[in-house]
Amino acid sequence: MDKKVVLKLENVSKSFAKVESDEVTHALQDVNVTMESGEFVSLVGPSGCGKSTILRLVAGLITPTLGKVSVDGVEVEKPSPNRGVVFQKPTLFPWLTVEKNIAFSLDMQGKLKGNEDKVEHMIKMIGLENFKDDYPAQLSGGMAQRVSLVRTLINEPEILLLDEPLGALDAFTRMHMQDEILNIWSEKKQLALMVTHDVDEAIYMGTRVLVMDANPGRIIADIKIDESFPRDRSSASFVEYRNDILNKLHFAGKKNK
Amino acid sequence: MSENQNQPVQTVNAAQLGDLTRSELKQLETKEKTAMEKTLETVTLALPVVCGIVALLEYLLLPNYARNYDPFTYVYVLCAFIAAYIIYLAVGVIRRKAGNFATYEKVHYRAPLFAALFLFLAVYDYLTLKTGTLTQPFVPCMNFILNAFLKDYMMLIDCTINTLKLLFIGYTIGVSLGLVTGITCGYSKKARYWVDPVIKFLGPIPTSTWVPVTMVVAGSLFGGAVFIIALGSWFAVTVASMTGIGNVDKDFFEAAETLGASKRQMVFRVAIPHAMPSILQGCTQAMSSSCVALMIAEMLGVKSGLGWYMTWQSGWASYDKMFAALFVICFIFTIVTKCLERIKRHVLRWQNGGEK
Ligand SMILES: Nc1ncnc2c1ncn2[C@@H]1O[C@H](COP(=O)(O)OP(=O)(O)OP(=O)(O)O)[C@@H](O)[C@H]1O
Ligand SMILES: [Mg+2]
Repeated sequence: MDKKVVLKLENVSKSFAKVESDEVTHALQDVNVTMESGEFVSLVGPSGCGKSTILRLVAGLITPTLGKVSVDGVEVEKPSPNRGVVFQKPTLFPWLTVEKNIAFSLDMQGKLKGNEDKVEHMIKMIGLENFKDDYPAQLSGGMAQRVSLVRTLINEPEILLLDEPLGALDAFTRMHMQDEILNIWSEKKQLALMVTHDVDEAIYMGTRVLVMDANPGRIIADIKIDESFPRDRSSASFVEYRNDILNKLHFAGKKNK
Repeated sequence: MSENQNQPVQTVNAAQLGDLTRSELKQLETKEKTAMEKTLETVTLALPVVCGIVALLEYLLLPNYARNYDPFTYVYVLCAFIAAYIIYLAVGVIRRKAGNFATYEKVHYRAPLFAALFLFLAVYDYLTLKTGTLTQPFVPCMNFILNAFLKDYMMLIDCTINTLKLLFIGYTIGVSLGLVTGITCGYSKKARYWVDPVIKFLGPIPTSTWVPVTMVVAGSLFGGAVFIIALGSWFAVTVASMTGIGNVDKDFFEAAETLGASKRQMVFRVAIPHAMPSILQGCTQAMSSSCVALMIAEMLGVKSGLGWYMTWQSGWASYDKMFAALFVICFIFTIVTKCLERIKRHVLRWQNGGEK
């Protein structure tokens, strides 16, 4: 990435009103964190601790109840192709072919003319040249997720937000995709923020792991992973990181009961 | 297995799979037919011809109950039908030899229906012309109907044009307005606030209720008929597109938003394509309600068109002409429905994941 960006969450709290009752869910409370280009930040924590909420705040899909989310000092107000999101479900548009899905955002911004080779390049990158005229219904889960990934990447977002992008995949495809995402990221070194349920995945991919806890949602640990890529899942230091994080999560779990 | 001439592609080996076409793939995946199944297939294909000849013989050999006139019209038409089937079958067989199985399979699939049609004609002729079991002259035999058609075809064409004009104008107006209100209301809560009560109020009222009202209120009968037809289609399309757009998954909007789509693009490039199945369903429904409204309007007030022609001829006890018009109506509505079906299949080709 030629331009460095700094993403800041300052005293961010987010609460949701429940539909059925008068109660309020405190999804996030007083979150403070700063990240910048070149980092690959993994976000782990128990279900319902507000991981997706952080991502959606950064994306601009929702606004914080209190506090401020800013990129380079400018407050985030609404979604922008500069902050690309890959959702857990691929959410490909079923009425568009693979090629048109990938070209969607360029088309929406009126930038498609003259950039067809970019679309072509993305299709090649994920190895789906033979499927570019197919509809999403004809793709396997892994293929769909790859399309969804490059559909976002084609904008060259400064910040890449990944909400459990590999959650729905089988173990084999998953490991393969982890390397693929890392490859893409290492080319431009944009700021990547990825939510995951899998502690191994968080350590394998992240330069930094944020551990969260629920009720109220908050960050309880911020761990730097000081290892070079590619990482060895069975190395002593890897196991140490894993034990450390699992301990924190486990401890957090007990405290709640 | 490889020398089975019915399935020439069976000799493909795995390395060649890459060059297969769709119909070859289908052939490859179907099991080899037994001798029994093959005979059954041949019998099925021959059945329409046999039944056609039965119908022909029934007509020519049995004595008539009442007097017949111009007796050969029916014979010609029957022969033409049989010939058409034979040509269809021949095309299927020739194409199959060339490796294209689609037509042949269609012929095979439809053969029992064609056979049933010929049998129906035979039975119908027996019950009318031959025995008079169905009360004459209220249910005229097929030959009379065909003759009536030949005698009065200028008038029938004229009426058809009038009917189509009315249908087309009413339907187009109704569907266009329905799309506008439906899409607006599906997207904007404020618009729905005002339109919802109108729909709730108008919805349960059957179209025919409006006929007497519009006949009195509308300046011209034609205008009144257009209004009735448009109202029915407007209602169907509005409701369908409103629900269609309301059901668009929120995730799609969020994805589009983060990909840089504007509000306008979210309507036209996300909401509408996503709601397309529902919208087209509404258009089909609108067509059938339009057809009903059209016939009611023509039978009760408008002084032209096929519906009017039917009532007018039955007033003169010309039941053969009445039936001729009825057949034209059936024919037109079948074609119109078929066209809509085609459009729908083309627009929604993304739905069935490629395999048909
Ligand atoms: N739109 C919403 N309306 C109401 N409550 C919400 C909404 N979105 C999230 N919440 C609540 O906020 C809390 C955090 O949700 P969030 O989706 O961020 O969790 P998560 O960490 O992503 O969980 P998971 O790992 O299961 O995806 C949950 O208790 C959830 O019920
Ligand atoms: Mg989540």
